[in-house]
Amino acid sequence: MQKGLIKVTTGYERFVHWMLAISCLLLCFTGMGMMYKELNFFGAIFGGLKGLKVVHNYTAIAFGVALVLAIQMWWKEAGVFVFPEDWEWFKTAGGYLWHVDKVAETGKYNPGQKMFFLTVAFFGMVMIGSGFFMLYPQYISANLLDWMYPLHALGFLVIFAFFFVHLYLGTIGNPGTVQAMFTGWVTRAWLKKQHPGWLREMEHEGTLTVSNGK
Amino acid sequence: MNNNTEIVKLIDTTLCTACRGCQVACKQWNELPGLPTKQTGSYQNPPDLQWNTWTLIRFQEYEDKDGKFQWLFRKDGCMHCTDASCVKVCPSGSLYYTPNKTVGIDRSKCIGCKECVAACPFNVPKYDKATDKVYKCNLCYSRIQENLPPACVKSCLTGALSIGPKDEMLKKAYAKVEKLGGDANVYGDKFVGGTHVIYILQFKPEVYDELPVSPKVPQSIFVWKDLFKPLSLVAAGGVVGGALLHYILHGPKRPDPADNITPNDKK
Repeated sequence: MQKGLIKVTTGYERFVHWMLAISCLLLCFTGMGMMYKELNFFGAIFGGLKGLKVVHNYTAIAFGVALVLAIQMWWKEAGVFVFPEDWEWFKTAGGYLWHVDKVAETGKYNPGQKMFFLTVAFFGMVMIGSGFFMLYPQYISANLLDWMYPLHALGFLVIFAFFFVHLYLGTIGNPGTVQAMFTGWVTRAWLKKQHPGWLREMEHEGTLTVSNGK
Repeated sequence: MNNNTEIVKLIDTTLCTACRGCQVACKQWNELPGLPTKQTGSYQNPPDLQWNTWTLIRFQEYEDKDGKFQWLFRKDGCMHCTDASCVKVCPSGSLYYTPNKTVGIDRSKCIGCKECVAACPFNVPKYDKATDKVYKCNLCYSRIQENLPPACVKSCLTGALSIGPKDEMLKKAYAKVEKLGGDANVYGDKFVGGTHVIYILQFKPEVYDELPVSPKVPQSIFVWKDLFKPLSLVAAGGVVGGALLHYILHGPKRPDPADNITPNDKK
């Protein structure tokens, strides 16, 4: 790795991230192909609409496993707000929306990332729960079952919109970010800009892993 | 009867003797197997509609206010709604409106998602696990197309079942109800846009087993199909547009290259 780069993610973190991401996108793709008549042609590559259903149902298992692993791995760092530090960040919207001279110093995860994590965790579980009863309606009362369908659609609404937020902020919206989820190595300047509190903490504790270029 | 006429099947429950000829004729025409069933202490057999039983005579023991006993026989099955919940939720187009305004089913398209089973206010569509498909009465659409009455109507000995243009059948129903008097009523023309199976009932609807008094398309279906479904695309489109605007107006958050120099390098 290029000299001076800093390691910010472990291989396990990247594996869980991509397992969740790929299964989530495949679920969005197959689900949309079924929900929107105009997108029924998505089924062509799976041998028809029935193929979409089969792939959707089995992919849900991978998504459920990845979701559990992700929550177990990240909830302590990304699932809990710390006040008053996080409040300072909220007041400036992280410097994303208007000009801010000095954005509050953030640690490993900024409050925006925490909100994203909590949303995915919560609505991911909503999707698994509502989807389970759609597949096995015999385990729920008819009145409640009726509401599992709009709940599943609401989960899709939120997760699909958040996917694009995540895609933008993880790539061109924050240059230098995307390699954190590919190689795991980022530049020092990126870390200083995005997570100065975490950089300082790692330097202080001597846990910073810097590539020596070999 | 023109092939595209809006039709109604009229079920005069007061003429039904529960011979179950319609139940057998339905199975015969639609080539549905008989399966082992359970004795539940009633003549009603099988106990409910099944994937292989699209119509069923419900047997009900009824005592009026004076303790007088009477059998109530009601032929249950698809009501062929004008605003059919099942058609609204079906993702594959398997359930559809025929030119006669009845609800047809093209099983080759069915993917077994069971969404219609949950949606139907009359609890009619039934799922078969073995074929992973849903089954229900299609009012013998293949016969209707040939100007033939459905198998059940053809088999009916007492005239309890008849089929014809909607206005004629409704006129006939209201005339009969007037003749019956008392609590007699026409059931089916006042909800879900009007059903294409209409009952003549001797008593108020709430008297009959498994017969909803005011069936409607569940509210949840509107929230799902008319709200969240289109809103999902609006939200995603809004985010993509918003991100683009953010990029060109506010600009990305770029690191300062000068910060790449580590404290050690400065020494």
